[in-house]
Amino acid sequence: MSATSGVSPAPAVIAVENVTIAYGDNVVQKDVSFEVRRGEVFVILGGSGCGKSSLLKNMIGLYRPVTGRILFDGEDIVTAEGEDRLRLLRKFGVMYQSGALFGSMNVLENVRLPLDEFTDLGAEEKDLVAAAKLNQVGLLPAAARKPSALSGGMQKRAGIARAMALDPGILFLDEPSAGLDPINSAGLDQTIRELSRGLGITFVVVTHELQSIYAIADRCIMLDARTKTMIAEGKPAELRDHATDPYVRQFFLRQAEPAADDGSKGSRTS
Amino acid sequence: MSVSRPSPDSAETPVRVELRPGSGGVSVLAVSGRLDVSTAAEARDVALEHLAGFRGAALEVDASGIERGDVSGLSLIYELAEGRLARGVRAKVTGLRPELAHLLAAFPTEEAFAALEAAPPTGPFLAEIGAATRSMFLDVRAQAMFIGAVVQGFAAALRRPRLMRWREVGVVFEKAGVNALPIVSLISLLMGLVIAFEAAQPLEMFGAQIFIADMIGLVMVREFSPIFTAIILAGRSGAAFAAEIGTMKVNEELDALETMGLDPVRFLVIQRIFAATLLMPVLTAYSMLVGVFGGVLVMLTMGFPLAQIWAQLHGALGVHDVLVGAGKSLVFGAIVSGLGCLRGMQTKEGPNAVGDSTTRAVVAGILMIIVVDAVFAVVTYVLNI
Repeated sequence: MSATSGVSPAPAVIAVENVTIAYGDNVVQKDVSFEVRRGEVFVILGGSGCGKSSLLKNMIGLYRPVTGRILFDGEDIVTAEGEDRLRLLRKFGVMYQSGALFGSMNVLENVRLPLDEFTDLGAEEKDLVAAAKLNQVGLLPAAARKPSALSGGMQKRAGIARAMALDPGILFLDEPSAGLDPINSAGLDQTIRELSRGLGITFVVVTHELQSIYAIADRCIMLDARTKTMIAEGKPAELRDHATDPYVRQFFLRQAEPAADDGSKGSRTS
Repeated sequence: MSVSRPSPDSAETPVRVELRPGSGGVSVLAVSGRLDVSTAAEARDVALEHLAGFRGAALEVDASGIERGDVSGLSLIYELAEGRLARGVRAKVTGLRPELAHLLAAFPTEEAFAALEAAPPTGPFLAEIGAATRSMFLDVRAQAMFIGAVVQGFAAALRRPRLMRWREVGVVFEKAGVNALPIVSLISLLMGLVIAFEAAQPLEMFGAQIFIADMIGLVMVREFSPIFTAIILAGRSGAAFAAEIGTMKVNEELDALETMGLDPVRFLVIQRIFAATLLMPVLTAYSMLVGVFGGVLVMLTMGFPLAQIWAQLHGALGVHDVLVGAGKSLVFGAIVSGLGCLRGMQTKEGPNAVGDSTTRAVVAGILMIIVVDAVFAVVTYVLNI
């Protein structure tokens, strides 16, 4: 680890301890440990194929790590089963890369679904709450539309609104900026910022969009595909300026990989 | 008066809702404790109990005691403020902490919410009939154009056989033909057995059970084998073609082919139609054999000697019967595979699109099998074959 931030005022809500992720014999990441603190925007970054999304899917309990523990307020989601697991799942919401909205329902119904399933609210209250969620992400005018009639950015916003339906304390976002134009991407960053500041929601965001990282991240970790380990942890600006690992600096300075065999590509800053 | 109920998740901080008289005739509804998704429903129930006999002129909601809250919980405050709960009296909300006030501001205005719930306008009845008719004609047009494109693709392939992707043809032969043998065997055998058993009873009354052989032969060879094999093809391969090509359409693979200068019809469709059309007579002939075998089995159990059954079959069935059955199957194969490919190419955007195309391919395939079979029945009757 090349840099770590010093003070930790807020308590940890998620603790990832010595997690190793593998698909069969193919080890994706070894011995990853870090903590996510309450109320912060925590970014998991790294190059393509380094296991960011795999780590996220382990954290949200979709996959089981080969070794290690993933604790939410001290409870391990890896071993939790039945009611315990359901209770842990209720602590967070997830926005998937594609939005993962249910195509047969309109946007409002998508957001209302968790409320229908897990609350005793009346039908009108559920509509109200779902409408408020959509309003929070600026999507109320599109409430009656089907997901297929939404743009990519709108689908992601709707995905966030659905993830927030039950007011979880933690939101996981998988590649929120991927495939969005700069204006939409900045708008989404702003939404994340507002939700984090205004509501104190803890965010765990997987991304490799540099501008997004600078705009939203309180702290981040970086995974490396070559060493299959976590190579950095800290604030983005610290990592950019003080990281000792050349790959981390290269990532933050957006430099191309130096060509190994011939010098034709070179090192290029774009 | 006060009612409070502990929530299962928040034994330490239950939600409390109290109604008390305030100054100047204003009643005060004090909400305190934890007002979130786990307590919202009961808080609302308690508030409704308090407000059931509410006769006051003005209502104030004292929210200063709310320790924790979220959007679900604040829906109660919103409804009170909008006059949805107390006979239309809009409550004045006081003491709400800033972060909760921020959440309350997320609720839409009454007008925006009402607009949301309004049913989408439907067009006039006549306009809908018009639109449906237009879409039907457009579909016929699309089918005609598709047939044209397929014929063009075949003509090109005939001129230059290298254009045909033979490996793909082989794959379709295997998937749609060889892999379908078990189900064709089972269905044909059972059909043969069933026809024989069903025919046995009425024919017995006339002492004419030997004619089961005629019935099995004619029914299987001329009708059931071609139809059932075609229905199996529609369910297995027509659906598969629609789903494969539909998924390619959704993934922009068809666009990629077009921009590479490759015609999707020539690249994807003609191999499938060619293979399915050629393998149908083979599958159907196999089905005829197995079906007749099933009927013969039943007759053997009834005590008829094999030689007698064979002679009866020989007299009842001619080569022309087999040719009629095989000819039908050829047409069915072309129709089913063509419709599967066409529906795949017509796949629209969206998550249900591939499923819709597959359904349309199978339904249209089976419908056309029956329609074309009826045409065949009339034509063969008129021509006396």
